[in-house]
Amino acid sequence: MEILDKERRVYVLGGGISKFAAERTDGNMRDWMNEAVIEALEDSGTKIEDIEHSTTSYFSDHFDKQLKAGAIFHDNIGMCPKPNVRVEGGGGTGGLAIRNAYAYIKSGLCDSMIVFGGENMGRQVPSDVAQQFIALASDTDWEVQVAGFYIAYYAMMMTAHMDRYGTKEEQFATISVKNHRNAMYNPKAHYPMDITVEDVMNSKMITYPYKLLDNCLLSDGAACLVFSTEEWAKKNARSWGAKPTIEVTGTGCGTDFMRMADRPFPDPGITHFRGKQFGSQQAYKMAGIKHPREDLDCFEVHDAYSGVELVSYEDLGLCKPGESGKLAEKGVFDLGGDLPTNTSGGLIGFGHPVGATGLGQGVEVLRQLRQEADPKRQVELNSKRGAMDSHGGTGTFCAINIFERRD
Amino acid sequence: MGLEQINTLMEVFTAEDPMPFMHPEGDPWKDFREVMRLEWKMDFTYKHVLGKYSKFFIELANKKFVTTECPGCGKVWGIPRPVCADCLTITKWKELPGTGTLVGYSVSQFVPAFMKVEIPYVLSVVKLDGADTPFTHQLRNYGDSTDNIKVGMPVKVAYTEEKVDHPLLLMYFEPA
Repeated sequence: MEILDKERRVYVLGGGISKFAAERTDGNMRDWMNEAVIEALEDSGTKIEDIEHSTTSYFSDHFDKQLKAGAIFHDNIGMCPKPNVRVEGGGGTGGLAIRNAYAYIKSGLCDSMIVFGGENMGRQVPSDVAQQFIALASDTDWEVQVAGFYIAYYAMMMTAHMDRYGTKEEQFATISVKNHRNAMYNPKAHYPMDITVEDVMNSKMITYPYKLLDNCLLSDGAACLVFSTEEWAKKNARSWGAKPTIEVTGTGCGTDFMRMADRPFPDPGITHFRGKQFGSQQAYKMAGIKHPREDLDCFEVHDAYSGVELVSYEDLGLCKPGESGKLAEKGVFDLGGDLPTNTSGGLIGFGHPVGATGLGQGVEVLRQLRQEADPKRQVELNSKRGAMDSHGGTGTFCAINIFERRD
Repeated sequence: MGLEQINTLMEVFTAEDPMPFMHPEGDPWKDFREVMRLEWKMDFTYKHVLGKYSKFFIELANKKFVTTECPGCGKVWGIPRPVCADCLTITKWKELPGTGTLVGYSVSQFVPAFMKVEIPYVLSVVKLDGADTPFTHQLRNYGDSTDNIKVGMPVKVAYTEEKVDHPLLLMYFEPA
């Protein structure tokens, strides 16, 4: 893979987020999408009539019981008769949608694109039914029928990691503490909380080794990003030149077998995210990143469960295999550490309205690189690069994207 | 009459602005805060087809564990598949002895209501003898404590005598 046209570049012009919460009874998914879009248009200083294309990002047709919902989100914001495409890859949907925007603009299919995503996961169905809907994103013939569900799969991965490297429960509890704490400085976060490792360890055991506070929650919410070329932005975006310029400099994607059992055994086996290793290497190469821990200022990492963030550090090359727990304990990934991760609060603290999650990561990295984040969660800019990682299933679809500030 | 004409009506309420911090000059949606909620029931039954791996489930009913072997590259997939995902050759059925080793597990103290299982519930990944990739299923009969469960322990396929809702539940794993 080689990017041939180095002159044609793709920029992030603005972003918007409609609050992530346990239940947004004030509206439905259509309303949240509109809110995120309006904020992104304001932030980017663009008009919808000028934007040429849209991408829809949502995961489940069950939660909102509205098939081809993208048609509605797209017509609600006056985009007809312009083109739209839906991207879907479970929890990786938003990350893949950003990659899609890059590909469409880079190829010349369009010069501008608005990407909107959300999920209606709150309390329209009981939590038990929601768990069943999510379980349907594992193999319905071979996994769901043995009463497989997501926390049980991820718990198996984590016990394998603990067995192989000696990773401790207290170490992944620090991730939950960090992400809930970071969310306190994000007013749009679902689950801000000031807690300790003891609080996590003492929370209700759900599936060993994961306790209640190790998990992300089901959230309602939406997010939106606007992308374009430089030429288009100069002509159509009031933000161009007025706000720091943020470019998409890397995108990578990797996959693995739907069922963990089918993955090459013992490596990655059920321990590692092979798709994340593959996708991150693509993205780093494209962005010219050799040492990601040093060459990035912030990283939004897919923390569906606290231990998933640790394993992701290793597979994203932020540390060696087996090293993540010790580094997390030392605060390497805290605000003020070597590489602050999930400054937004991540899935655990910010929330996980699936189709919005990856886009929300993009909005956070955009805010960080523009130095617009709340001062308590703003990172120091050195490399002026930030990354985001989102995945679906147990690492089935992985998308890694990199933004860079160009002054 | 009025709202009571609506059979499915659950409630009408006034929602609060979830983002007041975004609206220091007042709620832009103030005329849109009245919300109606309905009950919407959906009930489907599918005629589900198990496709080209149906033989696996038929043999389970005969208390045999079969999977597929690739005549091209020789790989034996723990979970059968009609086409080898490594070399795209059409596979052949092969019976395995049903013994193996536990390579991973999780213990759930809580499960969603749709899962008809006893608590604690143990999901396990087992490397079966004669297969190159593992198989996922429940581990039962592990004794009086989940502390008895260890990665690396020998396990075997056991067969259910009761009626089941899905043919995959004709089997489970237990310590060998």
